[in-house]
Amino acid sequence: MNKGATVEEKLHIAEQGLASENPLRVYGDTLPAVFPLELLVPEVRQQTPAVGQRVTRPDGRMHGLGQTRYIDDMAFPGMLYAKIKRAGVASARIVSIDTSEAEAMPGVVAVLTGRDVPVNSFGPSFQDQPVLADERVFHAGDGVAAVAAVSEQIAEEALTKIKVEYEALPAVFDPLEAIKDDAPKVHATESNIYARKVIIKGDVEQALAASDHVFEGQYRTQMVEHVPIEPHASIALWDANGRVTVYSSLGRITLGRADLARTLRMPINRIRLVGTIVGGNFGGKNEITQEPVLALLSKKTGRPVKGVYTRSEEFIASTTRHPFIMDFKTGVNREGRILARKIRLVLDGGAYCSWSETTLGKAAILSVGPYRIDNVHVEACVVYTNKTMTGAMRGFGAPQVCFAYESQMDEIASALGIDPLEIRLRNAFETGSISPTGQVLDSVVVKESLLQAARRFGWKEGGA
Amino acid sequence: MDIRLTVNGSQHALSVPPETTLLGLLRNQLGHTGAKLGCDVGDCGACTVIVDGKPVNACLMLAGQADGREILTIEGLASREQLHPIQRAFEEHASLQCGFCGPGVILSAKALLDENPDPSRQEVRDGLAGNLCRCTGYTKMIDAVLHAARVMRNETDHSGAKVEG
Repeated sequence: MNKGATVEEKLHIAEQGLASENPLRVYGDTLPAVFPLELLVPEVRQQTPAVGQRVTRPDGRMHGLGQTRYIDDMAFPGMLYAKIKRAGVASARIVSIDTSEAEAMPGVVAVLTGRDVPVNSFGPSFQDQPVLADERVFHAGDGVAAVAAVSEQIAEEALTKIKVEYEALPAVFDPLEAIKDDAPKVHATESNIYARKVIIKGDVEQALAASDHVFEGQYRTQMVEHVPIEPHASIALWDANGRVTVYSSLGRITLGRADLARTLRMPINRIRLVGTIVGGNFGGKNEITQEPVLALLSKKTGRPVKGVYTRSEEFIASTTRHPFIMDFKTGVNREGRILARKIRLVLDGGAYCSWSETTLGKAAILSVGPYRIDNVHVEACVVYTNKTMTGAMRGFGAPQVCFAYESQMDEIASALGIDPLEIRLRNAFETGSISPTGQVLDSVVVKESLLQAARRFGWKEGGA
Repeated sequence: MDIRLTVNGSQHALSVPPETTLLGLLRNQLGHTGAKLGCDVGDCGACTVIVDGKPVNACLMLAGQADGREILTIEGLASREQLHPIQRAFEEHASLQCGFCGPGVILSAKALLDENPDPSRQEVRDGLAGNLCRCTGYTKMIDAVLHAARVMRNETDHSGAKVEG
């Protein structure tokens, strides 16, 4: 493709390609057995031979036949079933846990509390999450005790026999309340803000003052659960040689082994983690949840132990997408060119850090939008609240900020009487544009994509 | 309690605790793990099986209610030699990603096409409305069901070519 071609010319070439018989194959009908060396560094925007090929999934047939084995489809001789008792209170000190009645139940083989966990904390950035809460409850979905029994029903019933005495502590649920100095502290830290990111480019105040129009708006998004149709599921087998094998729906095997090594306080080479086909992840199965509990119950009983989250546990005791509160102040000139953008992001992190740092960083960098803006000030922070923890989910914060900057883009276009497509074309990144963090962007097709999309669905004609 | 039922053409006589669901019986007693436990409250449809020709959420039906009935699970759909046209269409349209909802969706589609061999796109949507999928966005599933319907009506072969005569 000619690099010097205009957008219109490129679109014409692309559409001709789409209309041809072999639309997306740049190498013709026969692929070379050995690619010429120069092809190893593909030209920008060149199609790979894979694009446009009709493919089926290698596991598609097994899925359709119902023969794929997910964790809950596996069983081992003598296997026990584990259930975890959830706190049900958002913030409390645990005064006592009495498991004696549950232990005495026929069919109950072992009971576990946080005190049985060798190292009762984990997390990818900060190790602020207990495997089972022992002294303090940080959110209502915290596990406080676990039972292994010969059937799920018995394990479930045994949970009701476990008596936990709590002393209620002040709780905070609103992230804007949580950042105040006098707010109750979720963890014993000076501030509930546990990570911060600031991006400064140019002089935002001066540019705002020099702008013809300044637009201000607050945008909020809600907490979202991944809802994989397969709940979190694992089976642990502690063998007589002191090694543990965990079959798990976990998506990050190596990280999971490291977390197991830490929490079980044992060398990583004694831990085998077998990942199977996962029935939906979307970022929600990126770190361990109940696996140390199952491993310790297996160690205690000498039998394989299976744990499958209930749908309710998926919502209260697994990670979710961060709710965002986003304040945008944007200065533009009469033509709709953005001169300055000042942003404050407050991320509701819930009770534990999990993947918040990654989410915070990505959200802060992307919050400015795919637009050429010389003066930028972004201040982003993530705060603890006594709610279900947030973590990784598709895009790590990118969808939330997109909702804010694109909403404001429409508001600006409407106020200035500029076509919403036109205002985006006037501001969009181009090849060679510099991102808010100083990255020079290569291979940028924002305008081409917008024009092509607009043409395809009839933007000018007003149809959709 | 004692139950007699037919599963995929085979007769079974079992004794199960009264609280056993049909899903529990199929998965744990008979080893048919194709039907999945997704939500346990009849929302997601991952446990769908066909009972006397009707799609049913097996997590909501007690095993005792299935006494004397005929059950079809995903394991009974294909023969050793041949995939069912719906299964083949799902494979060729790459309609399943993680696959967890697949057996339920395919059985809902089977029940639909048994009743209505020539459904409209909207009727296929309605037929699959009780099955949740978080991966695909449903489009390829609907395409596959419509394609399978054409194959089952002998209007086309699997490649999409028109059947002569």
